Amino acid sequence: MAMTQRPVRDPVTAQRAQGSFGDSFRSALGPLLFMGPAGFLVVAFFFIPVVIIIAFSLTDMSSSTGFQNWAWVQLENYRKILVHPSSGPILWNTIKYVVLTLSLFNVGMGLVIALLSTHVPRRTGFLFRALWLLPRLTPSVVYVMVWKYIAADAPYGILNQHLLGPLGVKATNWLPAQPWAFVIASNGFIGASFGMIIFTSAIESIPRDYMIAALVDGCSLWQRIRYVILPMIRWPLLFVTTYQTLSLFTSFEQILLLTDGQFGTEVWSLWAYHRALNNYWGNFQWGFGSALAAVLVVIGILMAIVYMRYFRFNELVQEPRIEAL
Amino acid sequence: MKLKLENLTKRWGAVYGARDVNIEVKDGEFVALLGPSGCGKTTTLLMVAGIYKPTAGVIRFGERVMNRVPPKNRNVGMVFQSYALYPHMTVFENLVFPMKLKRVPAKERRERAQQVAEMMGIGHLMDRKPGQLSGGQQQRVALGRALTKQPELLLFDEPLSNLDARLRLSMRAEIKRLQVNLGITSIYVTHDQVEAMTMADRIAVMRDGLLEAYCPPDELYDRPATLFVAGFVGNPPMNFLDVEVTQANGELRARCLGLDVAVPAERGARAAGKPKVTLGIRPEDLSIVLGEPGGEADTVVAGEVYVVEPLGRDDLIDVQIGQSHVNVLVNPGLGLRLGDPVRLKFNMEKAQFFDPETEQSLLWR
Amino acid sequence: MDDRMGVGSRWRAVLPLLVMAVLTVPILMGYVWIIISTFSQRTYGLVPVDSAGRVGGLTLENWAFLWEDPNIWKVTLNSFTLAVGLTIGVVLVSALAGYALSRISFPGRKAFLGTTLILHAFPSVTLLISIYFVLRWITRVPILGRGIPVIGGFGYDTVGGVILVMLALQLPLGVWLMKGFFDNISWDMERAALIDGCTRLRVWWQIIMPQIKPGIAALAIFSFISGWNEFLIPYTYITDQEKSTIAAYLRSLMSDTAPVNYSQIAAVGLFQLIPVMIFFIFTQEYLLSIFAGGSKGGT
Repeated sequence: MAMTQRPVRDPVTAQRAQGSFGDSFRSALGPLLFMGPAGFLVVAFFFIPVVIIIAFSLTDMSSSTGFQNWAWVQLENYRKILVHPSSGPILWNTIKYVVLTLSLFNVGMGLVIALLSTHVPRRTGFLFRALWLLPRLTPSVVYVMVWKYIAADAPYGILNQHLLGPLGVKATNWLPAQPWAFVIASNGFIGASFGMIIFTSAIESIPRDYMIAALVDGCSLWQRIRYVILPMIRWPLLFVTTYQTLSLFTSFEQILLLTDGQFGTEVWSLWAYHRALNNYWGNFQWGFGSALAAVLVVIGILMAIVYMRYFRFNELVQEPRIEAL
Repeated sequence: MKLKLENLTKRWGAVYGARDVNIEVKDGEFVALLGPSGCGKTTTLLMVAGIYKPTAGVIRFGERVMNRVPPKNRNVGMVFQSYALYPHMTVFENLVFPMKLKRVPAKERRERAQQVAEMMGIGHLMDRKPGQLSGGQQQRVALGRALTKQPELLLFDEPLSNLDARLRLSMRAEIKRLQVNLGITSIYVTHDQVEAMTMADRIAVMRDGLLEAYCPPDELYDRPATLFVAGFVGNPPMNFLDVEVTQANGELRARCLGLDVAVPAERGARAAGKPKVTLGIRPEDLSIVLGEPGGEADTVVAGEVYVVEPLGRDDLIDVQIGQSHVNVLVNPGLGLRLGDPVRLKFNMEKAQFFDPETEQSLLWR
Repeated sequence: MDDRMGVGSRWRAVLPLLVMAVLTVPILMGYVWIIISTFSQRTYGLVPVDSAGRVGGLTLENWAFLWEDPNIWKVTLNSFTLAVGLTIGVVLVSALAGYALSRISFPGRKAFLGTTLILHAFPSVTLLISIYFVLRWITRVPILGRGIPVIGGFGYDTVGGVILVMLALQLPLGVWLMKGFFDNISWDMERAALIDGCTRLRVWWQIIMPQIKPGIAALAIFSFISGWNEFLIPYTYITDQEKSTIAAYLRSLMSDTAPVNYSQIAAVGLFQLIPVMIFFIFTQEYLLSIFAGGSKGGT
């Protein structure tokens, strides 16, 4: 018995181990049954696409070359990105979009709502947080439609009719006039809920003793936030900041729906999408688009690995306490 | 059914859960695995159940090697500390579940479940969900569930630890009675030495994955093989004193600061001549000597009362002798108080001696 | 939290409420507008007006698309199929994988968990271009590609294909959540079931799954809403009008005609929003918890 458990080395033990082939087959079958579907999907829709996108980025494949007449062009697409006249402005757009949305809404507004909603009666705070979840749950097309109407020209637009009109500001369609304000606000109202939820649970898990101690010491609300709450939730703050940087960096659905990159709001990920899959002139530049996307993919993989190390996800993994199958 | 564990070992990386455990259980025998938490008793039990795979060693049911047999084919019943009932099933469904899986015909299933339920006194609870039952009732259901499949081996993992003290006492007696009546070979894991002593035919004491002793309860109590067993079994625990045993004029004496007592030759023979040995003596083998000092046996030692803990029937007195302390059970009627001088008689016929280095007994090994 | 009594205490209690109310105005205003405008000929801001611009003009004609445009029912059915298919797929695949990752030791378990976590943070939209090619390959597989009733198949330009892609993209979240739910199930109960004669598959289905019903419900609601709402993936991978979803249909209304009739579009929007709102009203707590759970890790 003890023999069969040792790694098989010489032919004699190998023969004895024959009996355990059925066992090892059975013990492989169980996990395969459970993991098979997930494994297939991960391979088919994550691993293979990453390989494809990197491979395609080294070709000139497009709808004009088709799948027959394409050629390897090495790093030509990446060279094109570097010298492309749009690269600079679009990179700048992307940075502007990420930094402003992140600081004003995903972290800033998220933190404000979390702080406010934990300093009012429980039920009220819950209601407000639920309301802030609404933009995330609303179909993006409907959501963007509302923003378009808010910005619309007089006499329709809500902004013109109820806020700027009474203040005497000349009416216009604010979307082309101030495209960034609307791109940032529309994304921000969705993004704020992520930080809000994480910050709220972090604030609620601060031991009550700290709060009571701070009250006894005569801290004002502001001092409590500054010296008790913020230092204690700096880890969640860091997590939300890094995590949301990545998701903002690569998301473009709302911009696609709101401006479709017009009025100078094209960002990097939308540029890749337009080039490869969706444009007006019908020439899909799969090679060039893949190169644009590959840049994001590489950044995404690197950042994801960094999170995993940095935030010690591994510690959330427990060992199974059953070994039988 | 007979059960045999041969050099059973469980290792996770560098950590041993159990190490070279050798236990033989006779047909119909009730064996307790006793030890503090983390000693490897539950690990051993789960290997017997088939939940853990042994790293090395052999598990035999009768003559058959069971190492690779999955738990469902071992025909064992198990009762857990947390009851582990299926909360979405009624008591009846819980009881018949194992039989369903063994494809017992529906009619027989019902009959057996009813019979076991009557036996366990839970017949009136058949339609309730586990969440609606008290802890004691839940544990009866769990025991019933283990019995309905008519197992050849019953495994208990601290089944009484979640119950309150009074209930524990009655369940203890009931489990013992059931086991004797049904004659099913049983292994009972517990950290409570009273449970082990009162229920088991034989007790296996474990510590840090190793088997320290395996013998009947009285032998465990009277003839502890190691320092650990001596200290773990018995309540209040055995007193230990570091002494030197010297031989002069054909007489053995154990000495330390403030203490000098005669040792019977058959007890102290192997302790003599060592610079330092551990003397073990149980609280009930010490007694207070009344009256004026003088002219008494040479097993009496003077000390001072340090702590008094009334236990009701007895007082537990901590007596300081030199720089050592011993616990003594005395009659509360004596009215001893802190600081009172007392004289203790040591019943050296019951004294134990251990080698402090190896922790082995100098009497029984 | 502020229980200090004093002169300023009342003001201090009201101030956060006031600030929060002001910040939340844009959200509320949007939903109020949708509701008002769907029942108005047109709106000036939030005020319903008739065609001459006078206050009033309440009407039901914006909802005429429900009986006049047969397409709406086609796209609604497609969206529903997508949402239901996605829900079943996500729950089943995540529950299987989550169970194995939480409770079975097998070679590669750590590696797969690590992968799941990386994918959890991975920006999957960047893969849309290459997933397009994967779908085109699947299209060529006989029957599976495009020969399945109801969902059309799993290839390009089929509802099933969109389900498959969305399922894959939601998998990291689903697996991670499910694993979290399984982690909290008592080991003793599972051990008891194995000893009682279950295989792992039966333990999973008969013993463990019933214990995590609330978790399954939360994930199912979340998946249904995502499927029902999704715009980008069906918009990208479905070209056939017949298989279009409600979000894409709404998008086409918004972009076709020059002077946009907001009231009619709002009605379609509200129509799409109704199931979401119903879920939202009855299951806010579930949803908040799933967002909290799904984003856990390191916090």
